[in-house]
Amino acid sequence: MKARLSAALIATIFTVALALNGCSSKSNTGNDAASAAKTLTIAISTDPGTADGQMTTEEYLLPLNLFDRLVEVETTGPGQSKIVPGLADKWDVSADGKVYTFSLHPGVKFHNGEVLTADDVVYTFDRMLNPKTKALNTDFLDMIDGAKERMDGKADATKGLQAIDKNTVQITLAAPFAPFLAGLATPGVGIYNKKATEAGGDKFGQEPVGTGPFRLKKWEYNAELVLEAFPDYFRGKARIDQIIAKVIPSADTQRLEFEAGTIDVFDLDGARTQIPYFRDNAKWQSQVVSGPRVGTYYYALNQAMKPLDNLKIRQAIQYGINRELLLEKFYYKTGVPAKGVLAPGLAGYNAALPGFTYDPEKAKTLVKESGVASPTIDIWQVTDSADTLKINEAVQAMLGEIGIKVNIKQVDSATWSASRKTGNQIAMYHSSWSADFNDPDNFLYTFFAPNNSVARSFNEKNAKVFESLDKARQVTNMAERYKLYQDAEKLVVYDDAAFVPLFHLEHLFVVAAKVKNFKVSWNGWSNMSYYGIKVE
Amino acid sequence: MLRYILSRIPVTIAIIIGITAVTFFLLNVVPGDPVALMMKEHINPETIARVRNEMHLDDPAIVRYGRFMWGAVQGDLGRSYKLNRPVASLIIGALPNTLKLTAAALLVAWVVGIVAGVLSAVKQYSAVDYGAMAFALLGVSVPIFWSGILLQYLFGLKLGWLPISGMKDGLRSLALPAIVLGWASAASIARLTRSSLLEVMRTDYVRTAYAKGLRDLPVIIRHALQNSLLPVVTVMAMQIAGMLSGSVITESIFGIGGIGRVSVGAIQARDMPLLQGAVIFAAVLVVLANLLADLAYAFLDPRIRYD
Repeated sequence: MKARLSAALIATIFTVALALNGCSSKSNTGNDAASAAKTLTIAISTDPGTADGQMTTEEYLLPLNLFDRLVEVETTGPGQSKIVPGLADKWDVSADGKVYTFSLHPGVKFHNGEVLTADDVVYTFDRMLNPKTKALNTDFLDMIDGAKERMDGKADATKGLQAIDKNTVQITLAAPFAPFLAGLATPGVGIYNKKATEAGGDKFGQEPVGTGPFRLKKWEYNAELVLEAFPDYFRGKARIDQIIAKVIPSADTQRLEFEAGTIDVFDLDGARTQIPYFRDNAKWQSQVVSGPRVGTYYYALNQAMKPLDNLKIRQAIQYGINRELLLEKFYYKTGVPAKGVLAPGLAGYNAALPGFTYDPEKAKTLVKESGVASPTIDIWQVTDSADTLKINEAVQAMLGEIGIKVNIKQVDSATWSASRKTGNQIAMYHSSWSADFNDPDNFLYTFFAPNNSVARSFNEKNAKVFESLDKARQVTNMAERYKLYQDAEKLVVYDDAAFVPLFHLEHLFVVAAKVKNFKVSWNGWSNMSYYGIKVE
Repeated sequence: MLRYILSRIPVTIAIIIGITAVTFFLLNVVPGDPVALMMKEHINPETIARVRNEMHLDDPAIVRYGRFMWGAVQGDLGRSYKLNRPVASLIIGALPNTLKLTAAALLVAWVVGIVAGVLSAVKQYSAVDYGAMAFALLGVSVPIFWSGILLQYLFGLKLGWLPISGMKDGLRSLALPAIVLGWASAASIARLTRSSLLEVMRTDYVRTAYAKGLRDLPVIIRHALQNSLLPVVTVMAMQIAGMLSGSVITESIFGIGGIGRVSVGAIQARDMPLLQGAVIFAAVLVVLANLLADLAYAFLDPRIRYD
């Protein structure tokens, strides 16, 4: 009887489904007509919330596709990049490394028809530094002369920003800062139209006006965004007509949509367990596109908390983690063990670092030598990260074998970020960092400048590290700069064991056969510019 | 009746003030910093301090609560910290999808739940009863994320009859999320209908109806069911409120931009204005749903009068 009832239920569902299928044939015809346009359909797991790159530090789908920057970063090979002209055709840097003069490409049009001028550039950068904007991305511009006064509300304009003429902008820095140009190629410093941005006010993030290859056509929050090709794009109209970005939080749903052919790109970063299915399956393997993530997965060790104040314990952790095993079991060998903070592909990467061989015996000896009886460490993580939990559990077992007891403490992301910034609550955590721009400063200064080292719960307070990082910001000779960063890297990883490098991973996507010219961007991010894509 | 409805207004206001105060102060006690969260891995202590200052996040909690309530009574729920959009527009924007999903899921829940409940009560201890209750048990036991994926796989991918996610295809888009969400709710309706109907079936007036020579169907539909629905209606009203306040798992699996994801996003981001807006919305819904249930009692049981 139960079976009959179940059969009846299934039959009912089938009937309703069939009926619904039938009654919608009309709307399907409509969809077919729309799909005649060359459309790239992608899935994103969260709604970006804003298109204003000044107001976000990670949601870069819109900034990368709706805006252009003065200079751009071009992917020249896997993990390789170079700075190329963007809205600026050329630029000069003064001999003292402080004055940057940009010549703008003439006649560039914004989506509202306005023509780009030097005033727009000055306005955009000053807006970022204006405290009223509440911008989050000031790191890329705070080295401009007068930026500090502007950010502190002590000035009405930024002294170092000047429009020389209609097409020339001059930016003066407070002190030489070699990575300044690379920072200008990051997605958050796109150039805005003064008139449209002021008119948009608080709504600018939802009704953006840029110069980019696409413009925003429709935005249904938490559901779907539609970007259409901008016909007057100064480099020529994109080869696709529109991008539809569906907001689908569930990776399982994304995969089903991809297999059903309703989305064209499936980002395997959010569904690592499915890597073997796509990579090793004859049907799909030719459509897997991968590129190195110029970034590092790591553990942070907090020296302000016991027993991690003990160098021997920290060193024991370096040798007590089997990186190859983690890579094999959780990442299906889509990466290489890391030897330091900097990633391959990044300027200043030091390939000569020795790395750490898994050596549990040496680690046990170090634990004994530490003099700490029954060392216990809490590893913190956010609750909704299953991938992090797997790694933490494996490391818990590995460290258990060398005599360090590990507790895994799971908290929500708000508690996690608030606790981490205090510097004295989280003993150890797993995280990753990918390059914003191609310079070692983006890794080492970000992590180990005095304030940042506390806010990231390292509490690495080696004066020599601070000195190297400070000096490297002032020096303009690149070889000399890289040497300073590499010295700092050796200190934090090998001498002080503050940073436990784990691995550098590949970023894999599966892409529908009709999509051509899909390239993983130089830094391996999920967000990328779709300007070069073709859809057949 | 009108006087009764009007008398509920002061209670509603008190509930809203109470619940927003509790939410506000609870969220102040738990750790969290909306600006640090927005910066994610790009955390920079100076930027956080500056933006917090501009957002007046360092003001005392009571001042911030007062500012929010002052805006709220003037019809301004403020702007989301994270999204910098008006709270009201975010909630109103998510409402159509939530309304559609709720209506469809309730249709499934109530039709399936009441039919299953009646069948199992009428055929107590029969295979129909056991089957219907097993179905109900499955409904409450099977997690939505699992039943959702199964149906998506079968009807979306393998058969291609229904969209896997999104809300772009009208009724077709609603079918799978409504079945998944409705099944879970149908289960409690079925069990409650069964037990309530069984109780009523044993009363004297039902026996009298049978003694008059009436057949099963008229007795059940006209006499027994109406009276047995009183407790069911209470649960139904709560289901309306619950679903309208958001069904976050269903919304996430099926990529639906509804109230649930807005609310959960607000909690995760410690986005106080948005969360307060969502809480007020949910509180009003619960109060309205209760009112609806009370009015339905009067309709179902003529002895109940509110005048």
